[in-house]
Amino acid sequence: MRIWLLAREHLGTVAVLFVLTLSACLLVAGLPRATQSSYDEALRRSLSDAPAVQADLTVAVESRGRGEDFLERAQFDSRERLWRELLPPHLRPLTAAGGHMSAKTTLTPITGTGGGTYLNLGWLSDADRRVKWVQGREPGAPATMRYEGRTIPVFEAGVVAEALRELNLRIGQTVMIGENDYAAVKLVGVFEAVSPGDRSWSHDDDLLNVTKIQPPGSLDFEKHVTALLSDAGLRALSGEGRNLTYRWVLPIDARAADALAVPDLQAAVAEFDRVVGLQTTGSPYRVVTGLPKLLGDFLAALSTAQTVVYLVLGGLLAVALGVILLAAQLLADRLDHALTLARARGGALRQVAGTAAGLTALAVVPGAVIGYALSYLVPGPVLPVVHAGPLVVVLVAVGFAAVRLALVHRTPLHERRDDVAAARPTAKRLTFEVLVVALALVGAYLLRARGLDASAGQDPFLLVVPVALTVAAALITLRCYPYPLRLFARLAARGRAAVPFLGLTRAARARAASVLPVLILLPALAVAVFAAVVSDGIATTQRVASWQQVGAPIRITSGLEIPAEAIERVRALPGVERVVPAQTGRVQVGFGAERAEAIAVDVAQWRRLLDDAPFDLPPLPDGGALVSPELRGRGTFEIGWQKRAKVDTRGVIDSVPGFFTRGKFMIVPLSVQVRPAVNTLLVQGDVAISELARLVPTGSVTSQKEALAAIQDDPLTGTVRWALVVVTVALAVYALLAVVLSLVIGAAERGRAVSFLRTLGLSERQAQRLTVLEILPMILVTALVGLGLGLGLPAALGPAVDLSSYAGDLPVGDYSPDLFLPSALAAGLAVVAVLGAYAHTAISRRRSLGAVLRVGDLV
Amino acid sequence: MNPTLSELEADATREKAAFGGDAHIVCDNLVRIYKTEGVEVVALQGLDLVIDKGELVAIVGASGSGKSTLLNVLSGLDVPTAGVARVAGMDLLSMNAKDRLRYRRSVVGFIWQQTARNLLPYLTARENVELPMKLAGSRRGRRERAEELLELLGVASCADRKTPEMSGGQQQRVAIAVALANSPQLILADEPTGELDSETSEQVFDALRKANRELGVSVVIVTHDPLVSEQVDRTVGIRDGRTSSETLRREGAEGQIIAEEYAVLDRVGRLQLPRDFMNALEMERRVRLELESDHIGVWPAREEPSDD
Repeated sequence: MRIWLLAREHLGTVAVLFVLTLSACLLVAGLPRATQSSYDEALRRSLSDAPAVQADLTVAVESRGRGEDFLERAQFDSRERLWRELLPPHLRPLTAAGGHMSAKTTLTPITGTGGGTYLNLGWLSDADRRVKWVQGREPGAPATMRYEGRTIPVFEAGVVAEALRELNLRIGQTVMIGENDYAAVKLVGVFEAVSPGDRSWSHDDDLLNVTKIQPPGSLDFEKHVTALLSDAGLRALSGEGRNLTYRWVLPIDARAADALAVPDLQAAVAEFDRVVGLQTTGSPYRVVTGLPKLLGDFLAALSTAQTVVYLVLGGLLAVALGVILLAAQLLADRLDHALTLARARGGALRQVAGTAAGLTALAVVPGAVIGYALSYLVPGPVLPVVHAGPLVVVLVAVGFAAVRLALVHRTPLHERRDDVAAARPTAKRLTFEVLVVALALVGAYLLRARGLDASAGQDPFLLVVPVALTVAAALITLRCYPYPLRLFARLAARGRAAVPFLGLTRAARARAASVLPVLILLPALAVAVFAAVVSDGIATTQRVASWQQVGAPIRITSGLEIPAEAIERVRALPGVERVVPAQTGRVQVGFGAERAEAIAVDVAQWRRLLDDAPFDLPPLPDGGALVSPELRGRGTFEIGWQKRAKVDTRGVIDSVPGFFTRGKFMIVPLSVQVRPAVNTLLVQGDVAISELARLVPTGSVTSQKEALAAIQDDPLTGTVRWALVVVTVALAVYALLAVVLSLVIGAAERGRAVSFLRTLGLSERQAQRLTVLEILPMILVTALVGLGLGLGLPAALGPAVDLSSYAGDLPVGDYSPDLFLPSALAAGLAVVAVLGAYAHTAISRRRSLGAVLRVGDLV
Repeated sequence: MNPTLSELEADATREKAAFGGDAHIVCDNLVRIYKTEGVEVVALQGLDLVIDKGELVAIVGASGSGKSTLLNVLSGLDVPTAGVARVAGMDLLSMNAKDRLRYRRSVVGFIWQQTARNLLPYLTARENVELPMKLAGSRRGRRERAEELLELLGVASCADRKTPEMSGGQQQRVAIAVALANSPQLILADEPTGELDSETSEQVFDALRKANRELGVSVVIVTHDPLVSEQVDRTVGIRDGRTSSETLRREGAEGQIIAEEYAVLDRVGRLQLPRDFMNALEMERRVRLELESDHIGVWPAREEPSDD
């Protein structure tokens, strides 16, 4: 049969199928690309935000004697080339050119300081590029001197200005280092970093800053700094008698990172460590990097994002396929006459099914190809699903058309007698359905009991359970919804009005064709509601997290006391509505060594600041204290904070938002202090952060809005929420399409029934009400079940899906009972269905009764 | 004398002359039962029918008497439940799907009552006629054959028109051409004039008769239309799923048509008496038969003599 002729004849249906396939393929191929590209973006950001010393690959080796010393730059260079050659293929694109080498001693004490001050010696391969000399001169070649009967080297070195200040040194001074193997360091210059913000300095922070360490049990700080040597100095630097470490830094280029390659990267780092270790001649070479941990953390966050996105994308694919099948069914119904005739006139089953498949393919294949091509406009890597998705759509649509029509036309004369008797389910089928429902419930229970196995990557079980739950809900709906309808129909039969009785009876006897709309609407609503609820849950938790981080709309904290005039200036700033001063500090609890964090603040005023906040502080009367759980049960106790004061426990709080979350802490009234040294301001008002920072120069200003923006700015968070929104919208559209398509599919039959009833005296208005009543129960029941399922899914899966990494590390558990969006979805669907039914009857009214009835005689 | 066992056995295995012999259409005790959930509808209850090659036969009967079921069975669209149905030597009960397809392609052609159902509205008349040939896979001469048939049936002018551009009569004549496309041996028509006025019916019936006379095709027409049934050689009446009567027409000595109505006697000797005959004589439950030299007399059951 001429397929193009059929296509022209059924152009409308073919176009619907084409558009549906196009949009489905675009979504199915485009969304994974977009999400994957944001995963990549997230990985890049997590790599570039991490300190270089953590992300970069560093090969390190210690020198334990003269034989293991590297004295020349050329030796370093040849090793660097070797390391780059040894890099596993997966790591190669990720490592950038450049990088540097260093030789540094550690724990090199200044003689006679008793281990209190350390002046290490360091050499950088690219010092000439990275430092500038601001005082004195560049170090030159080392000399020698006699010291305690031995000839020792005298290194010329430079330090940063901070080191001179902290270690009490001066230019020109010669410092003796070492406790056994002595050496002298002559300080000849002061340097500073050309660009201190450069990431590579995180490898050599010891050169730029003095590190202060408080050893356990000591009150004094140890001070460590590294002095910079020249190339000539390197020649005299030996590992003999010193802790000397050589390092080759291979920087990571975050821009080349690819989220898909992360598991390979982890293996590659281990492999690199192994092959580097094999190069050992003396002391072992080893790879020092925090990269595997960074990648591991990223993978953990990624796996949750993927789970959620896969869930909703899977739902979207299923629903899109369902709607496409509905359109294919519409096309098959439209072809029925032609194919029945062809079959009766001697068309083989192959010819009939082939025609249907060919026509469907004619609509579906170009749509899929265009959708697939358009998906290449979406930035992102090409995943296997990008190819597989459109292919699945095409195969399912064409296969469905072929198989369905082959089944229908298996015998040439197919007289449907569904009007006489509905098929009764067999015992086998009932058993199967009960089994599916039971398995879904058991699966959900097990998932809740077990939680998510983050280490295993994608958890197939987690993906299967929602599908099973949806199928179970659909089965129960399909099986059970005629019963209440029949009850209603029986009640309506007693009433005087004919329309409710007829409408409900027809709805309760709906053909099996209504199975497909239920199977589409249910997951569409369930996934849309699920997505909306999860998205809303994340948003709410993000807000809570931002408030918990800051504790007030704006918080100014300062290391020093904020003077009263500064506070007044802040108060006077236009836009500032309320300023609550507070003092934080460490207080002595009782008379012993016990310490606790405390904040002194007027709680009543603070509570007023928190009007918009998603949490509340308990009120605190004067003289009382709110204490952390660890401090509970002490009744009235004394604290030592500037002066001694007695406080009375008035309540227990789990955390002080913006300040303390664990350990021992308390809130006391500001009146505890005779003269409070205010170091914290809690501000409310619409005012620029920079303005506040200018007024309180010693303070650091954070605002809840900034904190929220920072939480929301994370690419993974953005992806999850964005994917949820896109899928919600797409599913809503698909649900509406499903309603419209199922209306159109049943149009002819309904038109006949209505026309017949109109000859019996049914008015047009009654006909409209009849159509609405007929279609509404299915929509309403499905909408309600879908709504319930969507609301139930997050609760059912909640413990298994850890969304905390998208919500400022707060667990997203409190799925708010905000029913607005889900209900709006369900209500919108019902309204559109009603409108569609009205529009449908309005259109069919144009056909004359006679024509309709005559057509009705045909089938 | 009682037959011996061996005689009985020989009798059982001896091939009997088949019912209907080598007639073109043979239905013997044909049964078709529709089963829907819990309800059985017996549409054909042991129907017998014999039609010879080249005959033009009308089948009449009340609505629901099983006419259309019989036609569906004969056209190979439906499979009978039991009995014998043979067309052109092919057994309709034992055919597999492939045979059935071949049967529909080359042995039988049919015409439905609804003009719209016979033709695809978006194809021209010629394309509609070519369709069965295409489906059967014949490659050459399709166009010529189609035009020849349209010419024969007097609708050559409609060759390039689509269904909506033709009158009902023209559509039905094109439908006859479609049915004839693959040179079938038998044409079945289900109320072909049911939707047409008497004048157009005449044209359509003429076309059918032309096919019957000129192409030698057997034609079976299911009809309510007395105009049609009066013009065929034989009219078979069906009642309650059985053939009940036959009307034969022949030309009398003066050229007038003489129609004689017969009741059908089946192979086991069953006979359906016309209902109005029975009513007129208040025959019910029992009748008395008397064999005369050249006929059998049927009398109402005698009143039982009372005891008094």
